[in-house]
Amino acid sequence: MSAVISTVKLHMNRRETTFLVPLYITGMVAVFSVLISLVFWRSGSQPGSAEWIQGSQSNPGIVYALLSFLVYLGVSSVATTFPFALTLGATRRSFTVGTLLWAAITSAYVAAILAVLSVVERATDHWFVGFYVFDVYVLGAGDIGRLLPIVFLGVLTALTVGGVFASAWVRFGARGPQLIAAGVVIVIAAALIVVVPAAAEIAEAFQLWWLAVAALAAIALSSTGTWLLLRPAVVR
Amino acid sequence: MTNAIDMQAVTRRFGESTALDAVDVTVPEGSICGLLGRNGAGKTTMMSIIAGQDRPSSGRVEVLGQEPFENESVLAMLSFVRDNQRYPDDYRLHHVLRIAPDFAPHWSEEVAAELVDGFRIPARTPIKKFSRGQLSSVAIVLGLASRAPVTLLDEPYLGLDVTARALFHDMLLRDYAAHPRTIVLSTHLVQESEALFDRVVILDGGTVRVSSEAEDVRDLAFTLSGATDVVQGLTARSTVLSTHTVAGLMSATVWGALDDESRTTARDLGARVAPASLHELVAAIGEHRPEPADLALHEKKGVRA
Repeated sequence: MSAVISTVKLHMNRRETTFLVPLYITGMVAVFSVLISLVFWRSGSQPGSAEWIQGSQSNPGIVYALLSFLVYLGVSSVATTFPFALTLGATRRSFTVGTLLWAAITSAYVAAILAVLSVVERATDHWFVGFYVFDVYVLGAGDIGRLLPIVFLGVLTALTVGGVFASAWVRFGARGPQLIAAGVVIVIAAALIVVVPAAAEIAEAFQLWWLAVAALAAIALSSTGTWLLLRPAVVR
Repeated sequence: MTNAIDMQAVTRRFGESTALDAVDVTVPEGSICGLLGRNGAGKTTMMSIIAGQDRPSSGRVEVLGQEPFENESVLAMLSFVRDNQRYPDDYRLHHVLRIAPDFAPHWSEEVAAELVDGFRIPARTPIKKFSRGQLSSVAIVLGLASRAPVTLLDEPYLGLDVTARALFHDMLLRDYAAHPRTIVLSTHLVQESEALFDRVVILDGGTVRVSSEAEDVRDLAFTLSGATDVVQGLTARSTVLSTHTVAGLMSATVWGALDDESRTTARDLGARVAPASLHELVAAIGEHRPEPADLALHEKKGVRA
């Protein structure tokens, strides 16, 4: 157990990357969102109008901006940290468990940050001027009960998927991630071939919790894959 | 004496390539073992297996009486920083010094501080921008400050200047005397390091060619220098590891000991006989391609020429 905790601390050792970079990115997205809103304002759109709210809440910028960084963070949490963890004396098992634990902590941290910002945004009537950055559809449109699981599971999925791609690279070199990507494309294509005839019915019956189940499945598969790939991996 | 490291018939293959071939090595607790041999001899692979970072294809390895692979209690007692060690993105020196004690129960802040100061390791430069010598310095800090009961140092001298090498030697001996441990040190700077060694293992082509107490190494081979025809005549029935010829003169490094009669004959013929130094032995073994008969002959003595 101690090596698991030490592995969590090893990841947390990159304090700026883990705790501050998500804040920097969130701040940048906020600035860009405000700038875009100002462009719309100057072009005649009125803050507070139904059209303004509809357009602003449809902005998924926060997700795109964080997603690429979080996948990178997931990749680097294995690609460069795993060899150093072995050097320090971590077992592959404790590294895998510790990395998953760290990913869960990071996901909770990002979810908490976005939840607080969302609450502040709504409490200030959208920063006193009607700017929407966090009260957007993709984050649950101001519903904290939706935002927390959406962000937590989304961040955890990005980190663990990044981790399994990096594990494939550690295990097999450049061919590893290519094989995983090819496998994912084949599985998705096969699933589409099966479900496309019933696409309309499925869309009508769609429930948000389906995405949560899909995220949990991706997290479970990625974490298991990371363990299976790292267990026989040799660092050279 | 208890062995800290015990490798029995350890073979490691990577596809078609055999990095280690039926390696038998023991390192007693509390000794400093020099692991020597050419590039590609298998030194890092051997250390990696001892450190539990790799597993043998066949054979058995025990460190402190247990298999090291995925063994948390053994790994906590081990330190191994490979010569091409990678560090997490954005890491600086303080990241290493902050996390290492969490994994090393015997970590010494004093040793780390003295080495960091002595090596003048930059604090603000990202480690990925370090020079070769600076990377070696970080590896030495990790290796020595951990005070691990089994410490594996993989080419610790790479890129180090003469002052830094002297500091390393001084700290190694000083801290080893105060806190005895088992140390395996691989290096190409044989002459500079040989005074440290209690024990010597020479690898070549993945096989153990010598595994011996350091004090016995000088009895393993001798050099014979003189006129080419004289040297060739005297070594005709011996296992010649290497020869060098210059203007009718030959120097041969020969496996085994010279008997008194041959020694007298050599002297009478104007040839000079001297024990091979460790440096000469390592260099000669690196040049030598053993015949199967040579192997059979020397396996009986526990060493292979």
